[in-house]
Amino acid sequence: MLVTAGLLMGVTLLAASLLRPKKPSATKADTYECGIETVGDTWVQFRVQYYIFALVFVLFSVEAVLLFPIAVAYNALPLYSVLIAVLFIIILLEAIVFAWRKGVLEWN
Amino acid sequence: MEFNIIKFIVDPIDGFIRNLLGFSPLLGDLVTMGLAAVVICTLAALSFMALTYAERKIVARIQDRIGPNQAGPFGLLVPLADGIKMFTKEDTTPRAADRGVFNAAPLIIATFALAGFAVLPFSPGIVGTALNVGVLYTIAIGSGSIIAIIMAGWGSNNKYALLGAFRTVAQLVGYEVPMILNLLPIVALTGSMSLMDVVYRQTLANGNPGIPFIVYFPFCALVYLISGIAETGRSPFDLLEAESEIVAGFHTEYSGMKFALFFLGEYVNALAVAILFVTIFLGGFAGPVLPPVVWLLIKCALVFSLFIWLRGTLPRVRVDQMHDLNWKFLVPLSIVNLVIMLLIGKIFVATEATQQATGGIVVGYYGQAAIFAISNLVVLFGGLALAARAGRVRRLADEKIMAARAEQNQLAASRAIAVGK
Amino acid sequence: MTTQQILFIVCSAIVLGGALLVVTTRNLFHAALFLILSFFGVAGFYVLLEAGFFAVAQIMVYIGAISILIIFSVMLTRGMQAMTPRNSQAAIAAVVCGAMFVLMVLLYQRGSFTLPGFGVNGTERQVGAIPWAFAGEENNISGVPETWIAKFGFSLVDIQQYALPFLVSGILLELALIGAIHVARERRPAEIIAERAEIAAEEAAEAELPAQKPPLPEVAPAHMESH
Repeated sequence: MLVTAGLLMGVTLLAASLLRPKKPSATKADTYECGIETVGDTWVQFRVQYYIFALVFVLFSVEAVLLFPIAVAYNALPLYSVLIAVLFIIILLEAIVFAWRKGVLEWN
Repeated sequence: MEFNIIKFIVDPIDGFIRNLLGFSPLLGDLVTMGLAAVVICTLAALSFMALTYAERKIVARIQDRIGPNQAGPFGLLVPLADGIKMFTKEDTTPRAADRGVFNAAPLIIATFALAGFAVLPFSPGIVGTALNVGVLYTIAIGSGSIIAIIMAGWGSNNKYALLGAFRTVAQLVGYEVPMILNLLPIVALTGSMSLMDVVYRQTLANGNPGIPFIVYFPFCALVYLISGIAETGRSPFDLLEAESEIVAGFHTEYSGMKFALFFLGEYVNALAVAILFVTIFLGGFAGPVLPPVVWLLIKCALVFSLFIWLRGTLPRVRVDQMHDLNWKFLVPLSIVNLVIMLLIGKIFVATEATQQATGGIVVGYYGQAAIFAISNLVVLFGGLALAARAGRVRRLADEKIMAARAEQNQLAASRAIAVGK
Repeated sequence: MTTQQILFIVCSAIVLGGALLVVTTRNLFHAALFLILSFFGVAGFYVLLEAGFFAVAQIMVYIGAISILIIFSVMLTRGMQAMTPRNSQAAIAAVVCGAMFVLMVLLYQRGSFTLPGFGVNGTERQVGAIPWAFAGEENNISGVPETWIAKFGFSLVDIQQYALPFLVSGILLELALIGAIHVARERRPAEIIAERAEIAAEEAAEAELPAQKPPLPEVAPAHMESH
């Protein structure tokens, strides 16, 4: 499915590349900065906030990968197994509460 | 659902191809899947055109104007005009951009957006690939397109594009979490991750009660809807494309066909979210009299109109408000809700057979649905009350600070006047 | 050549080619992207093995989350675009990796080893070469659904199977997050001052210790045996 979609899009791009006008000019090839000249290096102040959010997302991704099979087997689980799963979820909730209390979830 | 028009068309073609390629069943599978993929992609592209038109018209009416009506009768040829424009606009590439990465990014985004359609069930038995992990597949597709956004931002070699890409990724990555957490109760109750099974659980097939999951889990449905809208970057979460702010975000340097692919990706994503919401929470193609496809189209049209309505009505949220909403409201509440639902599902069971196997109090299907719904609403309103109280506390504290500051200013002013005299 | 063999070769080419490009390319960001390509190849392998769940989990966790983390940490290193990383230990690394690969192939091919002295009464003991975890083989609880995903999920919370490793992995995840947050978070100015004061106090305490040795305790003369 992915391959077919990719091929279709590739064909579209190819078709477009044949149809459009090609008039390169120096100004057009400049980097865009609200209409003025670029100032300074092209390097952005990368805040650690982005990293924290990605990290928490990794945590929840792994949690989801482990929880989805448990959910699939849910109808056959006795109550104490569900309690084990709940304990797992609470462990991860605790991690989030820690992050919250330390103030890393603020976007400044 | 006895006479299924889509099955009527698809089955002979399917059989023909498999007979033709009888020497290799795997090849036969691949060819039929490829054909299905082409059909789905074409349909998705066509509906993209219809959706852009519908959106512009409806938003215009909400804003008390008419919308495009010059190209063709009632402006119906506007999507065609847009397509021609996209094809023939020049494709400027910045000099210092990274060619490979820059060109690959829109391709990847559009591909992933279309690939998300592979697991949506359009009719009983009609699905692109009957994956038994359909729910997880949709989440994975969402995660996959995030990489392409970073590629687009980085490949442009433009400070603002890169910054926009990072902010977009922070938003998308954040709102995946409530989506994941709120799909878990549905999967738990269905006993399978396949979307076809999720739909069947909401119909009257196989002894299931015909209760859609939005009745079972209104809180999950609401949070999934909010997260889905935030995932596609639509209003009110479209702070990343806000023209007055960071120019055009990560696709600043794109023009022509590549920009069109980004645009396509966004709308197709929104359509996929709408169909997913309909499939998981509203019963998909289930419905009494009309053929299933028609029901799916009706429900999907209603949900997408809801999206357009929200876009035309609600103001944009601020970036820190958006992150606060996600990490401090949606995620903790979703976790609490998940825990409560898991426990309730074991304590109040629906059938005698389940009670024999794992114990619990039998309340029948409707009783279980009612208990789930009530506890969901309790969690929702409890959470809202907590948030309201936290907001009120903060507002009172702010007001106190403002009052103190105003008093100080007045003291300073009166002192200044006294000195001036 | 069956279709499956062709697909296997394609997937192998993607994985190995991607991995090769990761270690040879000069641009760090490109290296991250080729790593993602490799991950896609691995997901393809899972699909070929008819383990669709793991393919999707691979995409979701590795490509969707961990790759983003890798890219972000690449961005965090300053002057990334000016760096051309060179690896001076490439030859040694290649030798070590090759040796490890050979070792793993040998381990996989042998069924088991006999370890002297680890069995009962010091006799030798047969140990399996690789402890294959096979979920769901021995459970006798009725009502367990038949699909292997359900069995996998059931085994994760079954006390007789993998419930304890499951919870331990949860704690491990939590510790990883707590550690990363503790290292990476931005300290407010007051906190920075407090931390520096604490470190200075600790160093002062350690510096004083040799100068002020506690007085030696009075040693009672050894009791001499009367002779």
